Amino acid sequence: MEQEAIAGAVRQQASTRGSKPRIPLPFLRFLYANRSARWSVIILVPILLLTFLAPMLPLQSPLESNIRASMSSPSFSHFFGTDKLGRDIFSRTLAGIKVSLFVGFSVALIALIVGTAVGTVSGFFGKAVDRIIMGIVDIFLAFPSLLLAIGLVAIMGAGTLPVICAIAMADIPRFIRLQRSLVLGLKSRTFIDAARTVQAPQLWLMSRHIVPNTIAPLLVAASIAAANAILIEASLSFLGLGILPPEPSLGNIIKDGQMYLQKAWWISTLPGGVILLIAISLHFLSDGIREALDPRARK
Amino acid sequence: MDIATTAAWKSDKREAVKEPLLQVRDLHTHFFTDSGTVRAVNGVSFNLERGERLAIVGESGSGKSAMAMSLIQLIAYPGKLVSGSVKLDGREMVGMSESELNKLRGGSIGTVFQDPISSLDPVMLIEDQMVKPIRMHLKLGAKEARRHAVNLLERVGIPDAERRISSYPFEMSGGMRQRIMIAMALSCKPKLILADEPTTALDVTIQAQIVELLKNLTETTGSAMMFITHDLGLVARFAQKVAVMYAGKIVEFGTVDEIFDTPSHPYTQSLLMTIPGVSDGQRRRLLQIKGFPPDMKKPVVGCAYKDRCPAASERCRLDPPELAEREGGHLAACWLENGLRSGDGGSIEAMLGEERNEPFASAGSGAANGRDGGREPSAGEAADVVLRITDLRKSFRKASMLPWKKATEIRAVSGISFTLKRGETIGIVGESGCGKSTTARMLLKLEEPTGGRIEMNGNTQIVFQDPYSSFNPKMKIADIIAEPLHVRRIGTREERKERVRELIQKVGLDIAYLDRYPSQLSGGQRQRVGVARALALNPTVVVADEPTSALDVSVRAQIINLLCDLKEELGLSFVFISHDLSTVRHISDTIAVMYLGEIVEYGPAEEIFVHPAHPYTKALIEAVPVPDPKIEAAKKLSLLKGELPSPAHPPSGCAFSSRCPLATPVCTEKKPALQPYLDRREVACHAVS
Amino acid sequence: MLSYAGKRLAQLIVTMFGVVTLVFFSIRMIPGDAASAMAGENLSGAALEEMRQKLGLDAPLWRQYSDYLLSVVRFDFGHTITTSLPIAELMLKALPLTMMIACMTVLIAVLLAIPLGTLAAFLANKGRKALDNIITWAAMVVDLMPSFWTGLLLMLFLSLNLKLLPASGDISFGEPGFMLQRIALPVLVLAVSQVATLARITRTAVLEVLNEDYIRTARSLGMTEILVVFRHALKNAMLPIITVIGLSFGHLLSGTVIVEFIFSIPGIGTLLVYGINSRDYPLVQNVILFYAFIFVVINFITDMVYKKVDPRVQF
Repeated sequence: MEQEAIAGAVRQQASTRGSKPRIPLPFLRFLYANRSARWSVIILVPILLLTFLAPMLPLQSPLESNIRASMSSPSFSHFFGTDKLGRDIFSRTLAGIKVSLFVGFSVALIALIVGTAVGTVSGFFGKAVDRIIMGIVDIFLAFPSLLLAIGLVAIMGAGTLPVICAIAMADIPRFIRLQRSLVLGLKSRTFIDAARTVQAPQLWLMSRHIVPNTIAPLLVAASIAAANAILIEASLSFLGLGILPPEPSLGNIIKDGQMYLQKAWWISTLPGGVILLIAISLHFLSDGIREALDPRARK
Repeated sequence: MDIATTAAWKSDKREAVKEPLLQVRDLHTHFFTDSGTVRAVNGVSFNLERGERLAIVGESGSGKSAMAMSLIQLIAYPGKLVSGSVKLDGREMVGMSESELNKLRGGSIGTVFQDPISSLDPVMLIEDQMVKPIRMHLKLGAKEARRHAVNLLERVGIPDAERRISSYPFEMSGGMRQRIMIAMALSCKPKLILADEPTTALDVTIQAQIVELLKNLTETTGSAMMFITHDLGLVARFAQKVAVMYAGKIVEFGTVDEIFDTPSHPYTQSLLMTIPGVSDGQRRRLLQIKGFPPDMKKPVVGCAYKDRCPAASERCRLDPPELAEREGGHLAACWLENGLRSGDGGSIEAMLGEERNEPFASAGSGAANGRDGGREPSAGEAADVVLRITDLRKSFRKASMLPWKKATEIRAVSGISFTLKRGETIGIVGESGCGKSTTARMLLKLEEPTGGRIEMNGNTQIVFQDPYSSFNPKMKIADIIAEPLHVRRIGTREERKERVRELIQKVGLDIAYLDRYPSQLSGGQRQRVGVARALALNPTVVVADEPTSALDVSVRAQIINLLCDLKEELGLSFVFISHDLSTVRHISDTIAVMYLGEIVEYGPAEEIFVHPAHPYTKALIEAVPVPDPKIEAAKKLSLLKGELPSPAHPPSGCAFSSRCPLATPVCTEKKPALQPYLDRREVACHAVS
Repeated sequence: MLSYAGKRLAQLIVTMFGVVTLVFFSIRMIPGDAASAMAGENLSGAALEEMRQKLGLDAPLWRQYSDYLLSVVRFDFGHTITTSLPIAELMLKALPLTMMIACMTVLIAVLLAIPLGTLAAFLANKGRKALDNIITWAAMVVDLMPSFWTGLLLMLFLSLNLKLLPASGDISFGEPGFMLQRIALPVLVLAVSQVATLARITRTAVLEVLNEDYIRTARSLGMTEILVVFRHALKNAMLPIITVIGLSFGHLLSGTVIVEFIFSIPGIGTLLVYGINSRDYPLVQNVILFYAFIFVVINFITDMVYKKVDPRVQF
């Protein structure tokens, strides 16, 4: 029902749009009107601000150690406490978030672009091209995604770039599949026939009719993919296969804390909570996009 | 409400002490959506006598289905029965406990729904779906219940019921599934059957079979029936009483003769005038109801029909009329005693007929009067052939996964020929699967013919059936109309803009609509946009593939009039494809009747309708219900037996031989050719030539 | 049914063939060459050559490929580099623990999630939003918790603080009681997220089905709500649920790697992490292959169950 309210809001918005200049006003209004989107902004914006303003804040640097303050519990001087080496977990977490977000958005972007392009071609042209592409996709989908990423990282080595590539490789087949099924669904729609009756060229059909109608579900999938990529990167780093210390990543901070779980619970638990928050906000974002662009919302 | 109650009381007195089977009083059902409360049923009261067939007529959104579902209290969330009373056999159903209601549902009240495809559980055997309710209501053992179910299936005409009962719904045709739905509804000898558009999803000949079945069953079992439909023809064929609904209320209630002979409410009166008459020979311009039904989220002040009613007065705007008794005992909710016929302001035709689109009025003032003269193509035009189709064929191959299996060939169109002259309309009629849509797709080069020739003089454009899916939801109306120009790189940006403005006005829409998206338009408006787009490239032939079947009755007339006007003004030729015979008859000069990919009869529209030669044409025309109870009563239906054979395995010889009442051994051996018949017609039948 | 199974089996074999090929070539795409990567920088030319031989990298490519295909078919994966143990044996020894964790998780998830999701859908369908919202929200949050984090939290509370379950100790089949206690936490960690995932899917699926026309038909025949939900809605909703159970098994396999790592359980996941850390490429390659094989087989079984529930499915 909440959806219907948003649908109504979107519809109203669309009808009031008219001749006004196209500033992102509707977008802002949407963020306010949509409950999911609002929540995602409420969580995500402070996290983003903290992360990117971290160097300007009076915080201990993420790599700076202070043996005297080893394993001190959360306090006003150290929000998330410190680790064995006396490094500030809060500032390490912020640095980790930066890496996480970078990985998440890079993966989503790569998978979105490559997956959309290949999926469109596969779905639109069909026949042999489609069969070959889908055969390859099936092979990739035979691996559970984290395991494929693990395997790829094992080959490519640790580090931010290999991690991004590995996770993207695991996500691309999923996007290809999604886009292909969307394109196949659209191909049988009457408006494609309508365009074909005026002999619209293939490129026109793809760029004007097919791709614009797949953007909404793709964006939904991309924001979920970003959340998943963040989780997978953290898992890889936790296993000691992703981003290696001393470079902080949420996964390796948590792994470091595992050894001192009983003595210093804060090292592992608090950064983990941050991962959860980011994942939740990205899911809210995807819900928001879904609701805003739902075909039902447009009646 | 008071008047309704007194009226009901009066009818009680008339019927002696005997209580009506169903008494509905002041029923209100609202849907509480977040964007507002939809008052779908807004005070409905009526009685239904035992064994009586009552039709509820109304357009989509009039609340007729919500009303029916309110009776058995099966309204989906966020809908809620707000107030009112429903008495079955004197027992109040509103406020009954769920378990008591469950005894009535499926027991005393059987329900048949519209879409037999989606109304049966797809992953459950027919048997399992039927037997359980029977056991619950009739307290039978498993074996007896199953036997009962098989008997019922036999009774509704399912061949080989014993075997068929253990199959899945997807293994059966739509008609068969609807028979199963009926068998389920009837399984516990209900006193009342609710049927919500039970034949809308079916083909004409199957529809006729189902209607006959329902009629016979209610007559033999004595069940009363409430029948929801938008098809006035079906009402005339089937109903004894009629309730006309508009905006959540019954606006007129009476016997079928009263409603058709002396309608008293302006809405009923107009509705009856908007449908193309099948019986009247000369073609008149269809009358049309202006405007759209009210938004049910807004409270209605005064009469809900006031904005569309040509006779609305100050009183109608303030004071809502209630159902009141008219001459002869029927009820109507209008301040005027005889609706549009009340005043001295001339005929209904005059009140409804002047609605012409502005550009046309200025374009040709003489056209309106001279239209009958324009019908017959003159000799000069006759030579001007714009489309000639010779022996057109299309077959689809369905290859098997297994390489050694032979691909099955489905012949969608097998050798049809016709010619179309400038300014003429050819109507292609036939049931689903007869190849009419494939023909259209070939004309538009959406499908490559596997044989034969299409010669065209000029270009062809199409108006699609479903105005909801034929537009890209992400494109503005302006871009949709301009797309053909854009793709073909015709004119400059400014010229195209100008042309689009011109086009949208031509189809009677305001240029303000150009900035909107398809979702912001109603069905009728979208169909107008579809027409405008089709005109963008100045086509010589417009293919209209069921252009009105997705629209409501009152809007349908607007679109048909628009097409007729354009045909006249622009000298367009139409290929008009439809299963709606009365519309085809209204608009076409020539008709081609198709059956299983072949033309079985071809000739001038009027002649074919008045004297059909081919047995299939005869059956088809007969099967279409006519909105006139007298004609319907006089009809002796000779129903076609069986269903359309699969195009993958057509019968040998004449394709129609498996269903033909005149079939002889010759028919199964030799395929009859399309041969000249009488003056200007052609028929493919051994029995005729 | 049989012909469907046959066709799906053929497809499975083709996919597996592709998987084996991919695994084979990916190991040869290691920057530089697998032998030097494994050996590290401190190996002489002779030792490197020996390593090459050991890995079979000295033979021509087609030969290596055909040898590898043959060895996979014979289920003979050679030996680990570092310890020279037979890989197939190692995997078979580790398999029961991993599969036990996975299967117990699925069982718990199905038993808990389907009733929970159905309940939420039923409430939503009736417009009783409050309880449905609580279930849906809780499921979403739990679903998004990283499993290593949940693992650490549960370890902290249940074994370190409350001392309810052991977090360490040798596992052997000789002591089934202790073994069950040891795998209880890993199963719990995985089950929490599986329940959440499955409950959400069940809710969506059942809710969608409850709006179908045939549900209305069943109600119009006087079927009670319980019958409507269990006889009609759940059976139809099972279709997407089955698919998701099959797919989430992949997620589950990934999860076992993490919980085995956290709780030091000698399953296949531990083998994998060990392999990567010791740069034992043949081990890594074959463990990954093995996971893919399990996943593909699970998907095959899923498809068969699907076909059984929905007779309309065609290849």
